[in-house]
Amino acid sequence: MSAAIEIKNLTKHFGAKTAVNDVTFNVEEGHCYGLIGPNGAGKTTTFSMMCGFLFPSAGSIKVLGVSPTEPGALKGKVGVLPQDAILPPTWPVGDLLTYYGELSGLPNAEAEAKQALERVQLPETWNVQAGALSHGMHKRVSMAQALMGSPPVIFLDEPTAGLDPKIAASVRNVIRELKGKHTVVVSSHNLQELEELCDATAILDKGKLVSASTMAELTGQMAEFRVQIARGEVPLAEIKALSGVKDARMEPNQVLCVSFDGQAVTPEEIITRAVGLLAQKNVLFLTVWRGKRLEERVLALT
Amino acid sequence: MADIQEIGAIWRGETRRALKSGRVLVLLILFLLFVGLALTIVGGVNHQLNAKFDSQLAMAGGDPGQAREQLVAAKKQFLSTFITDDEAMLDSLSALPLVLLVVFKLTLRFLPLFIALMGFDQLAGEVGPKSVRYLVVRVKRSSIILGKLLSQATLFGLLLVICTVLMVLVSKVLNAEFAAADVALWTFKLIVTSFTLSVAYLALTALFSAITRQGAVALVLNIIALFVIWFIALIGEAFRFPGEEALPNTLAMLKSESVFAYLRYASVWHFGDDLLHPHWSRWLTSGLVHLGFGLVFLGLAQLALSKRDL
Repeated sequence: MSAAIEIKNLTKHFGAKTAVNDVTFNVEEGHCYGLIGPNGAGKTTTFSMMCGFLFPSAGSIKVLGVSPTEPGALKGKVGVLPQDAILPPTWPVGDLLTYYGELSGLPNAEAEAKQALERVQLPETWNVQAGALSHGMHKRVSMAQALMGSPPVIFLDEPTAGLDPKIAASVRNVIRELKGKHTVVVSSHNLQELEELCDATAILDKGKLVSASTMAELTGQMAEFRVQIARGEVPLAEIKALSGVKDARMEPNQVLCVSFDGQAVTPEEIITRAVGLLAQKNVLFLTVWRGKRLEERVLALT
Repeated sequence: MADIQEIGAIWRGETRRALKSGRVLVLLILFLLFVGLALTIVGGVNHQLNAKFDSQLAMAGGDPGQAREQLVAAKKQFLSTFITDDEAMLDSLSALPLVLLVVFKLTLRFLPLFIALMGFDQLAGEVGPKSVRYLVVRVKRSSIILGKLLSQATLFGLLLVICTVLMVLVSKVLNAEFAAADVALWTFKLIVTSFTLSVAYLALTALFSAITRQGAVALVLNIIALFVIWFIALIGEAFRFPGEEALPNTLAMLKSESVFAYLRYASVWHFGDDLLHPHWSRWLTSGLVHLGFGLVFLGLAQLALSKRDL
């Protein structure tokens, strides 16, 4: 798998303030990649540089092998849902999407526009002026324009922010469908959403990169699992003695954490043996999950 | 080729949107109100002067033919004092009804401001709310400027044609002597003159819209720039060139010699009058100067937009 996006020593200053400081990471082709970080971490600035809206102060970005600021280089190859970008309010949605399709050089812009609106479940807004859309509808129309023409790289900045749970779920479904067929970069504060959707992530804090890895590496899915114990005495010594187990310990709230050697044993094998042992010892448990929650990792890192 | 398609798509889209919006109608009303007001005032004054002249002539019992000749001479004197002291230009302009000439000249003064009002937010209005980002991922920044500028020029041209035709028709009604062939010729001449003069100002408006984030700021800067342009021309034209002779009975008599006279060449405004000159070399030069200033402003707009964060 080759890198669809390569970012090297990327830096952006706004006057005296350094918004992004020497950030380096790659996004593999076909991956869904998450940009994570607290407010002011530099996510949107990094995102905006990847889309060619902002010029880097130093360092370089290549999207599909070219600089995003090179005029016309990414025409029709990139779809962007920018955060806080207002759709021109006086345009009817259908006309606007058709116009954007024409600008992207799509041969049948109107049909593409209709298809994209159906994909975000808003075909009824075709004749509605963009300025009359609710926040959620605006976001989805904006998402529709990013999907038009099925570009190989799609950037989504806060795609579900401000949406009600049902609509947010449908947007997540759309993103899920994109995985594997497109390279998708998602910036979001919703860590549960990113954990569910993304193959890899970059975590930024105060403009610096604090982690760039696959989701499995980040959450330790190949190195540990946890069991929520309901009742019973956990046989820690016997679990530690299982082949491939490196350590076992109890965490607060009756959570058993087991670390294992991912090279020596597969997760499904060790989890099955461990919970089998718990059942054998009449220990009742509620759930089992691999690794740490992304939220815990992010909180630990930032 | 791709650039032309992009520019064409932006031009079509923006023009369609503008024509559907109420803004064009508002601009048309504004333009018509100005022309209407100018026609009413200038036409009214002219009508009263003519009536007074005719009544005084009737009372004195003079020769009407001789009196008419005096009137033509007085008109020429007015033109040489207030409009131009160029003989060829005077002859050419004397074919126009005085009302039309004065209103047209007033309209030319108003056009740069009208263009600023029309297009101040063409880019700034998209940069502030970041809607320009939807365009930047699809087309070159240079195509955005050119497409929007062409759209502005198209709309402006449309409004200009409507208002000029109206202006000439009203003048024809007020002046029966204004021959039909002259009406057609001068309508064409006035439209071409106004449009050529406007090229530089259309580009100037694009420049200020390209360097700002807010339409209001773009408009204020644009108006300041217009005053600077007028001011430079005014200073330059307030002096005679060193060694230049002043013709008798002209405004030049009142001017002193100074190197400041050369300042006029720094202002595109100075070259506007020659657009109506009967000699082709003069109007062509003037047209090319307007085009040149337009290209400079457009080049600066391109440079600004291509280098800035959006």
